[in-house]
This record gives sequence, structure tokens and C-alpha cells, in this order.
Amino acid sequence: MTAAVPSRRRGWRGPKFALAIPSIIWYLLFFVIPIAFIVVYSFGTKDTTKLLPVDLGKLTTGNYAEVFDETFFKVFRATLRIAVVATLLCLLIGLPVAYFAAFKVSERWRALILALVVVPSFTSFLIRTVAWRIPLAPKGEFSQWLVDIGLIGDKGIQLLETQTAVQIAIVYNYLGFMILPLFVALDRIDVRMREASKDLGAGRVATFFGVTLPLAGPGIVAGVLLTFIPMCGDYVTATVLGGAKGNMIGSMIASQFSQAQNWPLGSAMAVLMIGAVLVALVAGALIVWVVPWITRALEPIAQRIRRSIHERNRAVERAAAPARAPRFEPIKILFAVWAVLVLAFMFIPILLVFRHSFNGGTSFAIWAGRTSTKWWGELFDGGSAWTVVTIFVVVPVIALAIRRLLAHRGSVPTRVLNYFGPLGFLVAFVINGFSTDWYHDVFDFAGIGDAIRNSFLAAFGATVIAVVLGGLSGVALARRPGRWTKVFMATVFLILVTPEVMDAVALVTWFQRIADVPVLGYAFKSGIGPFSGGMSKLWVGQSLYASAVVTLIVRARLAGLDESLEEAAADLGATPARAFRQITLPLISSALVAGGLLSFTLCLDNAVISTLVSEAGSTTFPVALLGATKSTIKPFWGVGAVVLFVITMGALLFVARVLRRSGESSSQIAATLAGG
Amino acid sequence: MNTPKKPQQLRMLAPTSFRDKLSRRAVIKMGTAATGLAIVAVACGGDDGGSSGGGDTTDGGGAGGTQASGDWSRVINAASGTLAMYTWGDYNDPLLVGEQAEKAIGATMKVDYFNSNEDLITKLSTSGGASGFDIVVPTGPYIPQMIEKGLIQKFDKSLIPNMVNVDPNYLAQAWDPGNDYSVCKNWGTTGFMWDSTVIERDLVTWTDFFDACMNEASGNCSVLDTGPNLWGAWCWANGKDWNGTDVADLDACEAFLVDELAQHIKKFDSYPSTAIAEGAYSLSMAWNGDARQAYYRIEEAGGDPSVWKWALGSPDTELWMDNYCIAAGAPNPEAAHAWINWELIPEISIQDLQYHGYHTGMKNMSDLIAEIAPDLDKGDMIFFDDAQVANMHTQEITEAIDRQVEILNKMKAKAGA
Repeated sequence: MTAAVPSRRRGWRGPKFALAIPSIIWYLLFFVIPIAFIVVYSFGTKDTTKLLPVDLGKLTTGNYAEVFDETFFKVFRATLRIAVVATLLCLLIGLPVAYFAAFKVSERWRALILALVVVPSFTSFLIRTVAWRIPLAPKGEFSQWLVDIGLIGDKGIQLLETQTAVQIAIVYNYLGFMILPLFVALDRIDVRMREASKDLGAGRVATFFGVTLPLAGPGIVAGVLLTFIPMCGDYVTATVLGGAKGNMIGSMIASQFSQAQNWPLGSAMAVLMIGAVLVALVAGALIVWVVPWITRALEPIAQRIRRSIHERNRAVERAAAPARAPRFEPIKILFAVWAVLVLAFMFIPILLVFRHSFNGGTSFAIWAGRTSTKWWGELFDGGSAWTVVTIFVVVPVIALAIRRLLAHRGSVPTRVLNYFGPLGFLVAFVINGFSTDWYHDVFDFAGIGDAIRNSFLAAFGATVIAVVLGGLSGVALARRPGRWTKVFMATVFLILVTPEVMDAVALVTWFQRIADVPVLGYAFKSGIGPFSGGMSKLWVGQSLYASAVVTLIVRARLAGLDESLEEAAADLGATPARAFRQITLPLISSALVAGGLLSFTLCLDNAVISTLVSEAGSTTFPVALLGATKSTIKPFWGVGAVVLFVITMGALLFVARVLRRSGESSSQIAATLAGG
Repeated sequence: MNTPKKPQQLRMLAPTSFRDKLSRRAVIKMGTAATGLAIVAVACGGDDGGSSGGGDTTDGGGAGGTQASGDWSRVINAASGTLAMYTWGDYNDPLLVGEQAEKAIGATMKVDYFNSNEDLITKLSTSGGASGFDIVVPTGPYIPQMIEKGLIQKFDKSLIPNMVNVDPNYLAQAWDPGNDYSVCKNWGTTGFMWDSTVIERDLVTWTDFFDACMNEASGNCSVLDTGPNLWGAWCWANGKDWNGTDVADLDACEAFLVDELAQHIKKFDSYPSTAIAEGAYSLSMAWNGDARQAYYRIEEAGGDPSVWKWALGSPDTELWMDNYCIAAGAPNPEAAHAWINWELIPEISIQDLQYHGYHTGMKNMSDLIAEIAPDLDKGDMIFFDDAQVANMHTQEITEAIDRQVEILNKMKAKAGA
């Protein structure tokens, strides 16, 4: 980050953190104070006779003593072990893929690889995790096939409900979050650095470890943070696949709140968990700090070794044929094979979800041996569905055709023409009926259509909040740093590392506390306009993490750009508002889009917070699916997931198109999607 | 949405897995039964169908024997708007909370699921009467604390005249003697099932269950994910009262479950039927309805259901009853009453029974089944004789419940170590 040079900012008065004020209020109201209550609860005693089952009359540290119990620590250790191993595996698996994409392929292939890495994360996280049950089932087809060819014993694959299954699925679930930041970091490395290294005689390996890897350091750190922290708090994967042996701390905390109704104990666990994550991060930071120090200390030795290797190479080279034959690169092929394998791995569950949405049986995970479209029929009301879909397809196509025609004649400016596509879509929306519940005609089955609609409504609202809050505070952080920055960043960081289940419980109790407070409680009790109070709660709950992510992305984006443009604007007499609108906003627009997309996906998939805060009528798809996972999951959940995926992908392609039109290359788009 | 769709007529009476079990004759008969009901619904659902004996109008289907004979109340009240239910996973025939309900009472339904009574209570209490749910489905013993906390509201019993269809044995339970707040949805019990190719001996008692779990099925055994049930199984194996609060017993229970049993357990799974079909377990503690479903799932997965054996917990076991209640602050209490009342019509009730596989508490149950669902499969897993019921015990919420949940948590930690 470049240090801000104090400059004349005409017309600028007020505190430096003015732009961050909305975020500050938001975080105070919905994060700091509610979490503070949780910390208070952790010293309370359980009292189930009350609505809020905590007695704060007599404060005690007994809960912490109980937490320092042997059994709790075992789960704690197991969780940390799973997370650490999975993070390392993600790094080992992901690094070659990122490296391959960044250095070994053409721009076109790069975009394709990145798209393939991103796409799986737009399928519901939960259904992908559930889908892992299919290949792992001992009586499943895959297992039986392995038995038939004699590869494994009669009992079949014995992985379901074990820690190994959790380990596999967790690596799978977070691999994308590792590959993307790695790629972004590698992609930013100036190729000339690597060339210089080679010109100076360093071999392939020496270049990688001496130049590439250190330069990729920030990406590795980002990737590790993005995977390790959510892994520590993950409870969905363990619940779905882990069985008794794969129990993780997240599910233990959740069960204290929901099942045992022992909020004080659960609070104490959660507080300790944040503590442990922080300690782990400090330890990680220490390693990051120590390793370069050691390498520097060892530098003379390394130099000597490198030199001798270099001399030997030169000797070999001189001895070999002097003519440089067109280089056949076995390493590149190895990388390519690896990348293909990894991508195939990432798509296994998705293909299974798709296939099982056509399952002829009654259960999603059990393939009945015959295909059937009946679950699609169950979900869609044939006739009306086709009408709605046809309108949605035909009207935009007509609009695009008209656009094409007009563009051909050249009489209408392109700026106007570009509105034709979205306009067509809008018209289709209106024809289908804005207010009449067309989706009710489409989705026949009780609830699932509402769930899909609610998912989008909640994710969209939360994303809007996150982009506005995160955008403003990101700008403030990058451009108006001061003493407040540290406090604010610490809060953002805390939001990122707090286990979701803790946010969830903090919010739930908080919403209840403020229900009767005038103004503040109103939105949650009666809702806003046509939206229910439950929807407002979802917006708040989902916006926390999302806005923190957007803040970081915007800040990173601006930190990389120097401030001279804004200063020039100010010097030329622009008011701060105008400078913001005309200079800063365009600069951060791609970061906002990237942050917005990232938060949209995160919100769409949010299960833990949503489960606790949602109300009847605001149930989202993951919430409903999480409810269904405990008993039998019907194949129409697969259908729902496919539908959700298709809609999300459609929206995404649309945004990517807009971005491309604004002049970004495809890998830049992918990079922005990853939070670069 | 108003025209009945043909394939769904079959689906409405039984989940698809059961359909193959039904003879062709039975299918046709049921198909007409469904039509008949729909017509009755239209006939008296139009306006305030509260007129006496409204439901007793002759069935329009014309096919004799589709409606249960005898003295039944079949009142259907009209309602409108949306109706939100919060219940256990996969616990109603989808048609009864979907299309069919909409046709009968005129309200559109939304269903959400919870995983435990505690989840339900947490959800209702944290939203302070604004949860948005109309109907909730708690287990009996949890009802008093829900009344006390003001989470559920009193029925307007004049709107639930069909309550007379319920067997008096399942009314006036200890938790709500006047049925002012609740009415039986269905009841069930607990037992276990095992793969006889892995465990070749016969298992009878809970002691056998624990023994097999620690020997032949070690590492491939699942138990219910509820503290009280595990405590119960231990009590029944050791001849104790599961509603007792003796600390020494709880200690002994913890010593056994945590130190000896836990390490052999593969998963704490309250609905093991799917995982059984996937081949994940060879011994599972299960509720009877879910165990029954397991047989159909195994067949669907291409396995051999005949090698799986089921035993009701012995010498004693549990009797639980889930109940329809109306949440305090329900947005649409009118529709809630109408739907609950509609569910208590014998034909509807039996339709639901065939889906979930639990006894719905209708009076003259055996006659009803003989008339409406004569080909019902595995009835012995739904209905129990008096001798069996005599050994079933209902849970009471005592101060030991915290300890029971704590034992479960310790077991989980131990099992994962």
C-alpha cells in the first residue's frame, strides 16, 4: 500500500472515516454489539425456563472450565488437523493448476481453465457435498464396479461417514478458493523476472523456488486464509459426510445452541474457537515471517549450490548438441494432465447432481438404475413452465435481432443499442407478470419455487448492501487512512474469522432484543414494503461477511493505484462528491462488480446464518435443503440445484459480457471474480 | 393447476417406492378413491362447510368401498391465503401439503423442516411470536414448556370437529389433557435393524443391540442422534426407568455409552434409511417408520431387503407422539385449523400413513386399513399389538435432560477421537 501523501483536498471537511460511517454503524449494530452479548452469555448460566435461555444473574467462568474438557479438545484437534491437512492439500493440488494456467497456456485456454475452476462454485455447496455420497457409497455403482474388477474387497469402498470422506469433500469444496488467488498472484508476476532468472542461468526448478514462489507469496497467503478459516468453522461437510468419526467443532457449537440449548457453553466454545483461529493465524504469520529470514540466512549456501548446478548444466549443455531442437516439454504435458485431472475432480459431483436429477427412484443419493424425468415434472408444471420460459427466451431474442438489424443500418448509436438485450429481458419479465407470481406456475412443488425465489431475493439484497457498504469503506480505507483504519480493519478481520454459527446466534438473539425498539426493530418485525421481516434479517445476516469481502477487494484495488488522479481532479476544482463519482467510482467499478459477484455467490449458498434467522416465507434453497439432509433427500432437490445453477450461470455470463464490453480481458475478469 | 393430473393420482396414495408393491386392482381402486375425495372436497369446500355431516355426503366417485364405512366426521372448512408449516423432514405426503390441500381447503401451503424439538423451540422463541409459521409439529413432552413460554396458541376446537375421529387412546395425553393446544399427528416407536449376513445371530433386546454394535457391527453401527433415546436404550437394557433422574444411573450410563460404546459407532443418524441402502451400516437404531422406508430404499438401490431384519426394542422401548399445534402469532390461524381438521379425515389420514409409515391414531384403525389400504405392506412395522404397546414408554422432560444431551455430546467427541 502506498503511503498517502497529505494533500490539499478542497472542500473536504469532516472526519477521515466519513465514508466508512455507514459500515461502522452497520458493524456496530449487527456485529460488534451482538457478538459482545455472546461474550457476555459465555459467562452466564443456562436457564431454559426463559425465552432466551441464559441467566446473567450470576456470572461464572464455569463454561470455560467445561470447555477445557478432554473431549472437546479432541474434536478441536481433529478439526484443526482436518483444516490444516486440507489447506496443504489444496495448495499442493492447486498450485500446479494455477501455475499451468498462468504460464503455460495461451490466453484463450487460460480463460477456459479459470472458468472451469469458477463454475463449480456456482452450484449449491450443499448439494455438491451431498453428491459425494454417491461415489463413496459402499453399495453404490462405482464401489460395486471396483469390486467387480477386483480392485477392492467385497465390502466395497469403506469411506462414507469417515474422516477421509470429510477430508476429500473439504479439499474439493475449497479447492477453487485456493486456485484463484494463486492464479491471480502468479499472473501478476512480470514474465521478465522469470526470463531474467533463466537468462542468468537458473534452471527451471531454481527459477520456480527462487523467483516465482516468493513473488506468489501474497497469493499463497490469500489462498490459505480463504480456505483455512472457513474450513475451521465448516459444519455442513462434516454433518453430511462425516459420521461420528468426522465430527467437527462447527457442528458441536451449533448443537449447543440448537439441540442442547446451552447457549453459555456454546458461546464459550465459539469464543475459544475464534481465539484458536487467531492463534493459528498468528502462527502462520510467524512462519511466513520466519521462512524468508531463514532463506536469507541460508542464501550464501544456496548461492553456492546453485552456482555449482549451473556450472554443471552449462558443461552438460556444451557437451550436448549445440543446435537447439524444437523443445519437447514433457513437464508441460505433465502439468496439462494434472490440470485436466483436477478439473475432472471438480466436476464429478456436479455431473452426478445433474444425472441424479433424472433419477427414477425416490432418493437423490440412490441411483435406482433407470432414468426418469418425473422429478422434473414434479418441480415444473409443464404447460405454464413452457409458456414462461418461451417468453423469457423469445422476447430477448427478438430484442437482440432488432438490435442487430439496427446496428447493421448504423443509424442508432451503439450506446443505445447496448440497452436492447437487458430491455428485452425486462419486457419479458413484465409480460410474464411482475407482480403475479409466475414462478408459482412454474414450480409446482410446494415450497421449492419459493425457496429458489427467496434465495435470489436474499442474495441480491445482501449483495447490494455489501457493495454499497464495502465500496464506501474500501475507498475510505485506501484513501483516508488514519488511526481509525486499524480498528476498522480489525473488525473486518474479525468478521471474516468468526465462525458463521456464532454470527447466526448472535444475530438471532439480537433481533429479538431489538424487536420492540422503535425504528430499528420495525424492519425486522414488519418487514420493508413487500418484503417480510424474515427477508430483512437474511439481508443483514448475509451482508456481514459479504461486505467485509467487498471492503477488502475495493481497498486492494485502490491501494494498487496511486492517488494522483483524484488529486488532479481536486486540483482542477472538482468537489469531493464529483471526484468520487467521476474518478474513484470508475476506478473501483471492476472491484465492485467482482466483490458483488463474489458476495452474491456466497450469499446464495449461505446455509448456517440463514437457517437460524430465516422465518416462514423467507426460507432459502440451502435452508430448505439443509432441513432435508437429515432425512431422505428427494431427487427434486437435484432438479432445484440444476435450475439454480442455470439461472446463476445465466446471470454470470451476462455480467461477464458487460465486463468484457468495458474492455477487460477474460483472464482479468476471472481474476476480478477471484477478488484480485 | 385445476385439472387433476393422471400420474399423480397414483402417487397421491403411496410414495413411488411403494407403488410397485400394490396390485393393479388396488391401484385402480385407490385412483378412484382420490377422485372421490377431490369431489367431496369441492362439494363442501366451497363455502363454510361446517354444516353437520357435510363430509358424509355420498362419495361422488361412485366406486364402493373407497370411503371408510362407519361413523366418521368429514367436515372440510374453507380457508384462503398461504399456510406455513414447520415440521420434521419428509413427514407428510407431498400432495397433502401441496396440490391436494390447496384443492380441499383453498390455502397454498409452504413447508419448512427442523431437525429436533430444540430447533423448533429455538426458532419460535427467538422470533418472539413472529416466526411466520402457522402449524408446528412438536413431540408431546415438549408441549408444556411451549405452552409455558407462550409459543403455541389454544385451538378453537369448534373448527376442528374431525377430532372425534381420533382414537381416545391418543387424545388427552399427559402433556395436554384437554387437547386444547395439540392433537395427535402420529406416533411411533424405536427399534433396530441389522444385516443378517454380517450379524448372523438373532438380536432381541437392547443388550443384544449394544453387544452386536461392539462386536460384529463395530464401526458399522448407527444410533439415533438424540440424547434421550440413547439414555433410554441404556435404561431399557438395564431395567431402569428412562424417566428416572438418579445421578448414579446417569453416571453408569455415561460410563458405558461414552467409554465403551462410542468408539464403535459410525454415525449418530436419526434417519438411517438412505444410508442403510447406500451400504453404510450393518446395524442401525431407528424409528419404525424410517426402518420401514429402509426396506424400499434397499430394493431401489439394487440390494436384497430380505437379509435385513427388524426388531422392536425390547424388553422395553419408547413411545413418542408428534402433534399438530398452532404457533402463537400465526398469520393464518383460520387455514391452520382448516388444514389440521382436514388431516383428521380418515381417508386423508390413511393416505399420509402410507407415506410416512407411522400410526396416525385414527379410531378403528384395523378396519380403516382393511377398507382403504388392504395391501399395505409391512403393517407389522406400523401397528403393534397390545402386548408390544404395553412395553412402550413415553418420555418426560426431567431435569436430567441436560445430562442426557451432554452424554450424547461426549459420545460424539469420544466417537470422533
